[in-house]
Amino acid sequence: MALHELLLDPTGMEEHATDSTLSPRPVSLKGLTIGLLDNTKPNATMLLEEIAKELQEHYGAGEAHMYTKDYFGTPVKESLLDQIVDECDVVITAVGDCGSCSAATVADGIMLERAGVPTVSITSDSFLMSGQAMATVQGFPGFDFYAVQHPMASLSAEEVRERALTAMPEVLRILGVEG
Amino acid sequence: MTTTLEEAKMPGVETEAEVDQLREVLEHYWEHEWTDGLPVVPVTEGYLATFLATVDRDPEEVLFTITHLNRHLTVRLAAINAAMAGCRPEYFPVVVAAWEAIAKEPHPARGIWQSTTGTAPFLVVNGPIRNEIELNSQGNIFGSGFRANATIGRAIRLGLINVFGLHPHKLDQATQGTPAKYSACIAENEEQSPWAPLHTDHGFNASDSVVTAYVIRSVMHIEARHTMDPEQLAMDFVDSIRRTGSLIHEYTSALLVLVPEHAEVFASAGWSKDDLRNFIFEHATRPRSELVAVGKDALSHKTRWRLASSHPDSMPDTAAASEDPDTVRVLSHPTSIQIMVAGANNAGVSAVVEVFTLNPPREHPFSYSKIEARK
Repeated sequence: MALHELLLDPTGMEEHATDSTLSPRPVSLKGLTIGLLDNTKPNATMLLEEIAKELQEHYGAGEAHMYTKDYFGTPVKESLLDQIVDECDVVITAVGDCGSCSAATVADGIMLERAGVPTVSITSDSFLMSGQAMATVQGFPGFDFYAVQHPMASLSAEEVRERALTAMPEVLRILGVEG
Repeated sequence: MTTTLEEAKMPGVETEAEVDQLREVLEHYWEHEWTDGLPVVPVTEGYLATFLATVDRDPEEVLFTITHLNRHLTVRLAAINAAMAGCRPEYFPVVVAAWEAIAKEPHPARGIWQSTTGTAPFLVVNGPIRNEIELNSQGNIFGSGFRANATIGRAIRLGLINVFGLHPHKLDQATQGTPAKYSACIAENEEQSPWAPLHTDHGFNASDSVVTAYVIRSVMHIEARHTMDPEQLAMDFVDSIRRTGSLIHEYTSALLVLVPEHAEVFASAGWSKDDLRNFIFEHATRPRSELVAVGKDALSHKTRWRLASSHPDSMPDTAAASEDPDTVRVLSHPTSIQIMVAGANNAGVSAVVEVFTLNPPREHPFSYSKIEARK
């Protein structure tokens, strides 16, 4: 209907292009340095360490470096991003289990991918929609990330380890590693 | 006067078709999710121009950016959303100043409206513009019924939804939110206040028009029709301000919206706004045992959120290192209490508006901007 064409778009979204190109995937993790980006949410450190341990023990991954964000609600600072890109071959980041940090975790993953580093962003499954919405805003609709079962914050060490083991097939799939 | 059925029907058919077309236009906005759920006003370039003509601004000037969302709100987008919200063009200078004030607040740019806490933008308007655009400041101030209040507040929320993509269930992950998210814009009842208006506290002249922006949680009713004693009345406010449910970090802050009758109780006893602020600051404490009872007597090492001292991640709060560790302040500064007057002069019913407060607390938990219309 012609009338609709007169109505102004209130979003300002139209001028933004999308770029959904992933970084090149490694076939094997053998000897690769793993970056672990901790957003400081409860149990994030332990979840990341458990995943790294699995990647090292069963897939031959090399050293793992832990990095800590200074604020969970916004994406990683440029200086830290540059350092991670410089020092790591693949990255795992967790855990987006709140409104702002779920979106920020996905944004971190997209920035790392665009900088050429294969990355698995981990949110909790309560915040799947928030992560997907962030990916759209960042011009990367359909960005692939892992949604771990909610909740994360209140889990015991044993439960965190179970979450990590459950995550492994998806972590490997997103990294493009042959199992 | 008599009309035959045929005469009544003929012009009616066309008119009805036009109304159908109007409804179809409104449906177009719902289909695109360009709304807060309520119908919006259709906006064309011609109508937009009447808004842009009220301010001396480049339409492409950016008023507010959320960097991590990669989104910018320009004057033009602010105007489209204000028009959709139902603003009249002459309200637009207030909307522009409101966005500027919000842009100065620390939490909105850092993603607070994606957060589970579910806060809302809250605007206070002072100065002559209130009367020029008929902003309500006397009676039912938080309720509906006044176009300027309803639509200026809504203009902000529509901008957040449309321009920043802060749709509920998507980027807006508020667990419950607040009714204030539909719209929250009040004006000070300067005419019935015994004190100088709020914006003069920020250093403006009373003849300036100013928007003050807050990020808020609850608006609580304080029923106090019983006393003419300023200390009793102040303690009634204190009781609500120090509730444990407001404590996510160590402290809280509040905007006290006094009705003229309550303001008069203080003013006639010789209390200034600072006297009231200081009294509330001194009394807004809790015995540590009450914080123990709700499991909020310590802080998390990592996030500085309140939690029980028995938690493995806990560290002592600030009060624990003070001379009186068993008395815990819930306000960090006397200025954590802001004071204004609004509402009808017909009963002792005021409000405590809870202002969102993280660690480290801010001495002045608000931002403001002067309203400038094109001369």
